Amino acid sequence: MFPTSFGPWLDYTINGLVIGNIYALLAVGLALIFGVSHLINFAHGSVYMVGAYIGWLGITKLNLPLPVTFAAVAVGCGLLGAVIERVGLRPLRNAPRIAPLLATIGLSVVLDQSAQLLFSPDPRALPTQLPSWRIAIGGGSIGALDLLIAGVGIGSAALLYGFLRFTRLGWAVRATALDRDAAQQCGVDVDKVNRTVFAIASALGGVSGLLVGMYYNTIDPNMGFQAGLKGIVAQLIGGVGNVPGAIAGSLLLGLIESYGIALFGTSYRNLFAFVALILILVLRPNGLFAKARRLPPEPLTGTFIAPSRPLVLPGWLIGLLIVAALALPFAVQQPYLLQTLGNAWLYALLALSLTLVAGTVGQVSLGHAGLLAIGAYASALLALDAGIPVLLAVPLAGVIAAALGTALVFPAFRLRGHYVSIATLAVGEIVTLVILNWESLTRGPIGVTGVPPLSVAGTPLVSGQWVYWIPLVVLLVFAGVQTRLLSSHLGRTLRAIREDDVAARSYGVDLNRYKGLAFAVAGFVAGVGGALMAHFYSYINHETFPAPVSMLALTMVILGGLGNVAGAVLGAVVLVGLPELFRAAAEYRMLIYGVVLLLLIRFRPQGLLGTV
Amino acid sequence: MLDVIARSAALVAGTLAVLTALGVAQPARSQTAADPTKEPVVIGVSGPLTGAYAQYGAQWQRGFDLALEQVNASGGVQGRPLRVQFEDSQSDPKQTVAIARKFVADSRIVAELGDFTSAASMAASPIYQNAGLVQFGFTNSHPDFTKTGDFIWSNALNQAEEMPVLADYAVSALGGKRIALLFINNDWGRTSKDLFTKAAKERGAEVVGAEGYLADEKDFRSALVRVRDTKPDGIALISYYADGAQITRQLREAGLSQPVVAAGSVYSPKFLELGGAAVEGVHTTTPFFPGDPRPEVQTFVSAYTAKHGIDPDAYSSRAYDALLLLATVIRQSGPDRKAIRDGLATVKDAPSVVYGTVRFDPQTRRVDKPFSTRLVVKNGAFALWQPGSTDAAKAAN
Amino acid sequence: MTTASTTSTPTSTPSASVAPLLSIAGLVRRFGGLTAVNGLSLSLADGELVSVIGPNGAGKTTLFNLITGLDTPDVGSVAFAGQDVTGFAAERLAGLGLARTFQHGRVFGNLSVLDNVLVGAHTRLRAVRPPLGLPLLGPLAELGLALLPPAAVRAEEERLRAEATEIIALFGDRLTPRLDKPAHSLSYANRRRVEIARALALKPRLLLLDEPTAGMNPTETAEMLEIIRGLKGRGLTILLIEHKLDLVMQLSDRVVVMDHGARIAEGLPSAVATDPAVIEAYLGHKAVGAANQDDAAAVVPTKRGIGE
Ligand SMILES: Nc1ncnc2c1ncn2[C@@H]1O[C@H](COP(=O)(O)OP(=O)(O)OP(=O)(O)O)[C@@H](O)[C@H]1O
Ligand SMILES: [Mg+2]
Repeated sequence: MFPTSFGPWLDYTINGLVIGNIYALLAVGLALIFGVSHLINFAHGSVYMVGAYIGWLGITKLNLPLPVTFAAVAVGCGLLGAVIERVGLRPLRNAPRIAPLLATIGLSVVLDQSAQLLFSPDPRALPTQLPSWRIAIGGGSIGALDLLIAGVGIGSAALLYGFLRFTRLGWAVRATALDRDAAQQCGVDVDKVNRTVFAIASALGGVSGLLVGMYYNTIDPNMGFQAGLKGIVAQLIGGVGNVPGAIAGSLLLGLIESYGIALFGTSYRNLFAFVALILILVLRPNGLFAKARRLPPEPLTGTFIAPSRPLVLPGWLIGLLIVAALALPFAVQQPYLLQTLGNAWLYALLALSLTLVAGTVGQVSLGHAGLLAIGAYASALLALDAGIPVLLAVPLAGVIAAALGTALVFPAFRLRGHYVSIATLAVGEIVTLVILNWESLTRGPIGVTGVPPLSVAGTPLVSGQWVYWIPLVVLLVFAGVQTRLLSSHLGRTLRAIREDDVAARSYGVDLNRYKGLAFAVAGFVAGVGGALMAHFYSYINHETFPAPVSMLALTMVILGGLGNVAGAVLGAVVLVGLPELFRAAAEYRMLIYGVVLLLLIRFRPQGLLGTV
Repeated sequence: MLDVIARSAALVAGTLAVLTALGVAQPARSQTAADPTKEPVVIGVSGPLTGAYAQYGAQWQRGFDLALEQVNASGGVQGRPLRVQFEDSQSDPKQTVAIARKFVADSRIVAELGDFTSAASMAASPIYQNAGLVQFGFTNSHPDFTKTGDFIWSNALNQAEEMPVLADYAVSALGGKRIALLFINNDWGRTSKDLFTKAAKERGAEVVGAEGYLADEKDFRSALVRVRDTKPDGIALISYYADGAQITRQLREAGLSQPVVAAGSVYSPKFLELGGAAVEGVHTTTPFFPGDPRPEVQTFVSAYTAKHGIDPDAYSSRAYDALLLLATVIRQSGPDRKAIRDGLATVKDAPSVVYGTVRFDPQTRRVDKPFSTRLVVKNGAFALWQPGSTDAAKAAN
Repeated sequence: MTTASTTSTPTSTPSASVAPLLSIAGLVRRFGGLTAVNGLSLSLADGELVSVIGPNGAGKTTLFNLITGLDTPDVGSVAFAGQDVTGFAAERLAGLGLARTFQHGRVFGNLSVLDNVLVGAHTRLRAVRPPLGLPLLGPLAELGLALLPPAAVRAEEERLRAEATEIIALFGDRLTPRLDKPAHSLSYANRRRVEIARALALKPRLLLLDEPTAGMNPTETAEMLEIIRGLKGRGLTILLIEHKLDLVMQLSDRVVVMDHGARIAEGLPSAVATDPAVIEAYLGHKAVGAANQDDAAAVVPTKRGIGE
């Protein structure tokens, strides 16, 4: 069913532009914020959701006229944006770059959870009051709302352009975007600029939420995450921080998706889009519309990681903690506690893996759950389909995750900064989508059932003690190996790449080789972690390791302290433990979790134990 | 509006209360009640109250609340009150396994209900099986869900039963010969797709195209171009209510006016709310239907609407049904973990809102031969379908 | 200003007849409409110290980037030790013995002073050298050697540490007491010293110093002058970018003057200092309003002694 005539292609093109139009609404705001604050604002999707709910209140509860509703949404979300800047970001001005990113993740948890509690998690209808006429184009049609969305997109971009070109504040915004410190020295009130930009972008984000809510006649508290992700991808295609580029990138993303559906079918939509994203990044490492190649300017000190004074735990304390951890099941027999800690050890493996690439080498990966998935599937399929004993399948899965993970991320090795994060995010999504679509190997959406448990001499190791001890021992071994690696020449080489890759290259450090090495070690560790999970869970499918797991892993790593082995373990224990601890709070617990996360970032932005 | 303000206040107050309480609050247990025969019988529930699937957990909660109220109003089970301990899992496997350990170790808990997604539910199955605590997955339709062992049961509608019924509706009743299928690309959708395709073929129709979409997809315009180009004379949806409503809207906007048949999982007041005028004329089959004249259904529906102010949907009715079923089994066999498993195997014609009466096939541990009702959306409500009104869908355009 | 009209100084230098260590020919590098390096040629003999001077924005740093492989020329070639290395990656050139410092200082902020210097010795590590030349085996062997170091590797590490400590001692007790301090805690001048130490740890055949005394006070500048003189005395070949002309005059065998990406003069320090084209270039720029007072003052040759 390959479209052969011209007609369908026209339809696919129009559909692609229509959906790209919707992505553009979010991408523009994200680009604006990135432009001045160099921050990927993960809370933007939540602002969009809030806008939709304010609109819902206005339309269905207060029966406001549509223009008043729009104004209310813009004002409400603009204020929210200013608040986000004030409480989430300004206090972190001098903190490591990564801290505000984490703060936006924390803020989005708080906003989403609050909405869920206030408005219930049920989706709601958001009827449009617009006329219902439609214009037939090709085989399909577009309606008033499509035109309104396009109008708002182009109109707001034009307004922004005018604001940036012709007003004093606009000049200040542009000056800040070019060089924040210089602007500050010239008397620009950078805080005011940031606040303004957040307010404008958030107002726009809120209006987008309302428009999209009306478009689909559906709003729900979780609508922001996926939409925000698409917006981020779209603005990256255009080149971060570039407002017209964001619009073009959005339309292009819409077209890519639509053509992907046309060529391969609906279930390949995102797979095709993410592969295209990676190709674009590889060919144009700074986005499609970036200026000609530029050497990054010489920084005054290290590039990415802010100065840090790590907290060094004394050896005897670590020894004591290890002995206590190993002995715990003798003292406490509560299977729930042991299982929770066992989960923490398994996630610590993931955090350990991520802290090596994101912390030590500075390649902030947002798709690390993909390595878990590869390891889990490899081990499960080796054990089930190839009949390999589980104890052998687990390390083999580690090797496969190391090899496959490194190969998949390899194209991203030439990218820098945020582009690495987005490319790895894409790789993570690609892994999930390949698992979903490659049915002959992975059983597709049905998942792998009956994964055998770990067993020794025919005795399955499934009791509470074993789910605690096995991950703990594996974790201790890998933590030891990683500590040793960090104290060898590799430790300083990898950290040198993170601190200043240009200087490192000038001293003979082959970036590809060491990034590859780091990803391979990380892939092995995470792969083994995923494999263990598969054998404990007995069932895995493409939803076992979803994108939020990658976010969680990154949160653990930042919370513990970048590159910090003990920190990764601590981060995992805290973030696996807190939601369990807050269980008594029932549906409030994720809200509390978000607040605690924000407080931790606020008061310990370099992580609990600090960057090493 | 007022309720939102009230809830805002509750939210703030609740957060503060919980935060202050956290230091002191230990899981409420061992309040050393004197008489074990008056101790409540507890059923553990593992389900999503927060996170991406929270809406389903909220629906469950409404069903459980009503069921508990009714059971306890009529004296509880064997003279003891029935309780539910609902633990939020976010349908995250690492949390469901922890919850499973918790339930298993808690001797008050005699059976477990949930979780929601297959990935989350089936990760915990080995723990329930090894400990000998019944895991009763009342929405788990994964074909292998009950295969972990004899303590894993499900009364979820079996797709092998449902899909032929749906195909029958689409082909024999509505006269579809070339059917295009849109299915949610997860274990349920994928299994259903195969079963539907097979059943349609057996009835002399052809499935001319099958488009699998991701769970969080909202835009179907391009998928529908593919559907259109297969020139179908009927469209079948293997969807939940939110995506089902979305597809139907976009389908009508794209000018596709073929009759639409949707799997029973679209059965929800939300389907009507989100789909608006576009879902007029959509056909579905469901075992549960509030308009069903059976007295137990009518009691349930009126009690539910009185309590929650909205119509029941598929998930809350299933939750209600599952809890009542367990109560029946406990009444018959006693509040004992193993007795409940044995009781499930032998329970005969247990009353059920969803199925009329239920019996389990002790081999597959699934419901034996459930029945279904044919419905159509008419004037913004689900109504029993009368043969002869096949062109309801066309009339809607 | 074009290449043809620039060379106003003799091209034959005392050492030009020997095969040069570095020779660049006709280098051009454009950034959009701006030609940062415009047809530059230059050669450097073993043991020579050549200074590149020129007003801000003349293209000096860009020239260094082109030589060290951080940037690639649009036109022209670079040869090092008789080998055409145009377009070689920076890491490969480091392996051939090319070391540089950066104008604004690019120390590894969260690494200790000692580790910074040890990274300089990276190319000399046994573990880094490819065994058997197989592509995947190299990194894996390196990993193995890092995790389970045999005696030889451990001895090498010890030796390098001793050597690095020795290099650091070159700077008196400016750095030695701070061996284990993270580089971000150092003063600006000390970071420059760490950079030079790091470059020396590579055992370079050619050392490129980009304004090594920027931001240093006269005392520190005098110290640095002595250190560079010492390096030269040990036979190290050095290409130096420097705005402080006193230092340039005292150290250089030869001076190349750049403006607008092209060479406007070349020759002995004394000859260059009096070249009218050079004075014109500096004063002209100064008149337009040289951004940096310090630099503007420093370029005008004065009788002021270093360290005064
Ligand atoms: N990556 C780049 N992209 C665009 N323009 C550049 C780039 N690097 C340098 N330039 C421009 O090239 C010109 C030469 O710069 P360069 O840094 O080489 O000068 P310089 O002689 O080292 O000056 P200074 O004495 O101030 O260090 C300048 O106008 C600069 O703005
Ligand atoms: Mg320079």
